[in-house]
Amino acid sequence: MKLTSEEVNEIALESRLLLNEQELASAVRYINNFLDALDCFKELDLKDVEPFSFAEAIECPLRDDVVTPFPYTEAILHESEHVDGSYFKVPRIMEE
Amino acid sequence: MELYELNLYMLTEGLKAKKFSASEIFESCKNRIDKCEDNIRALITRTDSTPQTSENPEGVLGGIPTILKDNLCTRGIRTTAASKILGDWKPPYDATAWKLLRESGAVLMGKANMDEFAMGNTCGNSAFGPTHNPNDISRVPGGSSGGSAAAVSAGYVPFSLGSDTGGSIRQPASFCGVYGLKPTYGMVSRYGLISYGSSLDQIGPFARTVRDLQLVMSVISGHDPMDSSSFRDKAHDFTHREDVSLKGKRVAVVKEFQGFGLDAPISEAMKRTLKVLEDEGAIITEVSLPVVSKYAVACYYALAMSEAHTNLERYDGVRLGYTVKDATGIKEMFERVRSYGFGAEVKARIIAGTCLTEPTRCEEYYVAATKVRTLIAQEFSRAFGETDYIIQPVTPSLPGKIGEADDDAMKGYETDLYTLPVNLAGLPGLSFFTGYAGNLPVGLQLIGRRWSDSELLDAGIILERHLGSPKIADGGQATARKKLYLEER
Repeated sequence: MKLTSEEVNEIALESRLLLNEQELASAVRYINNFLDALDCFKELDLKDVEPFSFAEAIECPLRDDVVTPFPYTEAILHESEHVDGSYFKVPRIMEE
Repeated sequence: MELYELNLYMLTEGLKAKKFSASEIFESCKNRIDKCEDNIRALITRTDSTPQTSENPEGVLGGIPTILKDNLCTRGIRTTAASKILGDWKPPYDATAWKLLRESGAVLMGKANMDEFAMGNTCGNSAFGPTHNPNDISRVPGGSSGGSAAAVSAGYVPFSLGSDTGGSIRQPASFCGVYGLKPTYGMVSRYGLISYGSSLDQIGPFARTVRDLQLVMSVISGHDPMDSSSFRDKAHDFTHREDVSLKGKRVAVVKEFQGFGLDAPISEAMKRTLKVLEDEGAIITEVSLPVVSKYAVACYYALAMSEAHTNLERYDGVRLGYTVKDATGIKEMFERVRSYGFGAEVKARIIAGTCLTEPTRCEEYYVAATKVRTLIAQEFSRAFGETDYIIQPVTPSLPGKIGEADDDAMKGYETDLYTLPVNLAGLPGLSFFTGYAGNLPVGLQLIGRRWSDSELLDAGIILERHLGSPKIADGGQATARKKLYLEER
């Protein structure tokens, strides 16, 4: 199944990526080659095969629900240029 | 002999016997980096401008210099994953693997170059430019942990850490002529490793002897409550023993791989190594991996890209790294930050991952790939009922020239066939040195069943005993001398 430039551009925008003409052409080639390669899965009978979750059984680790100190707040905020007090401040989310 | 030429074990013994001091080791390694770094460019960030103080001089790694791949978080030290998008981000915490090394006394000399977000096998997809192979600076060091491998090969440090999602430790180890271990998935905590494909990523060491890998693994392996995929109740004993044997052990080649083309030095290395194993009493056998040989590459890339697309969603310019301040809305900010910040290969993989996991395509591609992965894991499980180890190449060819690119990305991905199935099944894989073809090292790979890492390293000790250890690479010195000579003439 070949994807068109428009479809690939739409997927890129979903990923919040803006592609120029050259990047888009290259992405179309890349994705279509890749999807062609994945067509080999159709040769296999996967109907009764369970999806892989982990190489062996692992118990989901749970922690006691208790408040523990978090020492990194200041260091985390220090790394951002979008801080107001002890919060992150982002540009407008709702579009006009 | 200069101190930088000593391996990790020799350095720790020399320190114990007070033959030299930690500061002398530091100076020797620093001088070596000063001498070679312009040629190799293995490091993104150097941390050796002032002598580093060990926080545990009496620890097993007290005063030993090391280098970390730049996708391992280091508190207060820039961590880039070789991407513009992380800017000058300084993590507020240490990766557990680095914390364990630090607490054992290791000191950090720098952060190593890599393919951006560990996506690549040349160390050329870096926002900081390519790293050069210390054995021949016109060639690639392999990737993605190319800087970590090159640093050990050139004698910057006796050991380093990298990460392996589809071969990113084993392939550069082979290309640079050092040993590299991709541990069993779950053996080393991934906490503080910048994620690429979380179900595939694993941290592991590079060193110039197998014994040194044992020492590093004894420090970094074990359960970590901060990583839910790190296993409890698994005893790991990496104690070095001389009396190891391969007598009666079954070592298999993969039937389906036998028809694939290999560079002559690699097929010769296979023959030589099989003879060594036979002479040591091992039983050479054959296993069949038809699903692995035909479907592993497609399965791996489908899963790795899907996971990458999810993991890389977090880079939005808000909390860390590169950002813009004049965006009129959040969508514009995300788009501008991500479009500028990610390199071409990363963007391609994000778009592919988004495509494969969209509701209309998810069942056909992503879910199918997870099912193929089940078949691959089952196939390995059956094979390890018939053998103790699998031996195979790391790559079909020796390292190529820097800048040689193939327009068809899938062709490039196919060269990972020998390494990435190990990640799909969560197995341990050792990349070991077998000798040189001219000035280029030739490595091979030994794979074990899950949790057999210590036995795998025992087997590596025997192989090293017979095949010899690698020498420290020239580090571009001959090329630099030749250039100077030509300039003077």
